[in-house]
Amino acid sequence: MAAGRTKQIFLKNLGSDNPVFIQVLGICSTLAVTNVLKNTLVMCLGLVFVTALSNMSVSLLRKWIPSRVRMMVEVLIIASYVIIVDIVIQACLPDVSRQLGPYVGLIITNCIIMGRAEAFALSNPPLASLADGLAAGLGYSYVLLVIAFCRELLGSGTIWGIRVLGEWWVNWSIMVMAPGAFFMLAVFIWIVKGYLIPRDGPAKECCQ
Amino acid sequence: MIRGIVNKVAKTRERLFTVFFMFAVTLVFIAAVSALNLATADIVARNANLFMQRAVMEAADMDPSGSPEDVIARYEAAVREETFPDGSSYLCVTDPAIGANAYVFVRTGAGLWGQITAVVGVDETIKTLTGVTFVKHNETPGLGARIDEAWFKEQFEGKRGPLRCVPEGTRSASLNEFDGITGATITSRAVEKILNDTFAEARRKAAP
Repeated sequence: MAAGRTKQIFLKNLGSDNPVFIQVLGICSTLAVTNVLKNTLVMCLGLVFVTALSNMSVSLLRKWIPSRVRMMVEVLIIASYVIIVDIVIQACLPDVSRQLGPYVGLIITNCIIMGRAEAFALSNPPLASLADGLAAGLGYSYVLLVIAFCRELLGSGTIWGIRVLGEWWVNWSIMVMAPGAFFMLAVFIWIVKGYLIPRDGPAKECCQ
Repeated sequence: MIRGIVNKVAKTRERLFTVFFMFAVTLVFIAAVSALNLATADIVARNANLFMQRAVMEAADMDPSGSPEDVIARYEAAVREETFPDGSSYLCVTDPAIGANAYVFVRTGAGLWGQITAVVGVDETIKTLTGVTFVKHNETPGLGARIDEAWFKEQFEGKRGPLRCVPEGTRSASLNEFDGITGATITSRAVEKILNDTFAEARRKAAP
């Protein structure tokens, strides 16, 4: 695989075709797990692992998967990796597992993973798919981490559980709740689309 | 006619392949997930146990910190399970450091979104709380879920039932008042009810 291709895949997923703020996918988990930085990081690592490996697995099998059952196969592969992530978190990080609750299992329903499998892995070789899955996962992760950073700071006055704002700080309870993520995400998209991405660039089609 | 048969055979083969393929992929992934699950089952069970044991020790005012081996050893030395004549169970904790007994009850009550399971410790005389902690709840993050915060749990130590919930920030010195949580009245009342019910149960059943 050419290095230029990999670079292009990463640039696209991190910026101009980012799964969260351009494709607007994976919003459910963006709302649910971004109130504390630590949980968000664990969730993101899980998602990167699942997207990368499921993308590669689908790509490895792409020549044999009968087209009429391809979605079943994809879901099976994704679900298996998610269960693996869930088991590993339960065994190694029981406290985080308790706080994340059902959200790790819900990675299965994250549209980013299935989207990448359908749009990329089915028509590309395994290594490129691995890179694409990795890039999509990272593109999702950094957006979530930025949002989680702001939400934890404003909502709890802490970063990574360590108090950084003094006693004078009044926590914004709404930041810890799901609506807080809506506001943060909207502000994030506003800044990125309004100021960072050139306005006269090629028109992007936004799909749900 | 021959072409018809050839077509039919080809179609049947394709269908059989689909079924076979799905079966094989499922088998491989399920085997992998099951193997991992079996390999970690003991660790996961131990984690869950340890979490519960730490909660019981916290409620009985024992030090719940330390390495897993240490906690398990101290728990097993101090705690024994007892049952009331009606079959409901409680834990009798004898803290070797003090020599006094505490009774620990694991009791569940209705919260806002779901059940709250509290671990409630009372002293030998069944008058004073030795500690309270929550092992399971689905309260709102940032509001009701703040019952997990240290100040909320710690304020119960030394309080006497029946308890009454007062506004957050009162820091009432009265022995039967505790600070509720602003924005989580239903959760605070639920905690009040669980504690008072537990007190009532302990007194009723332990009465000579």
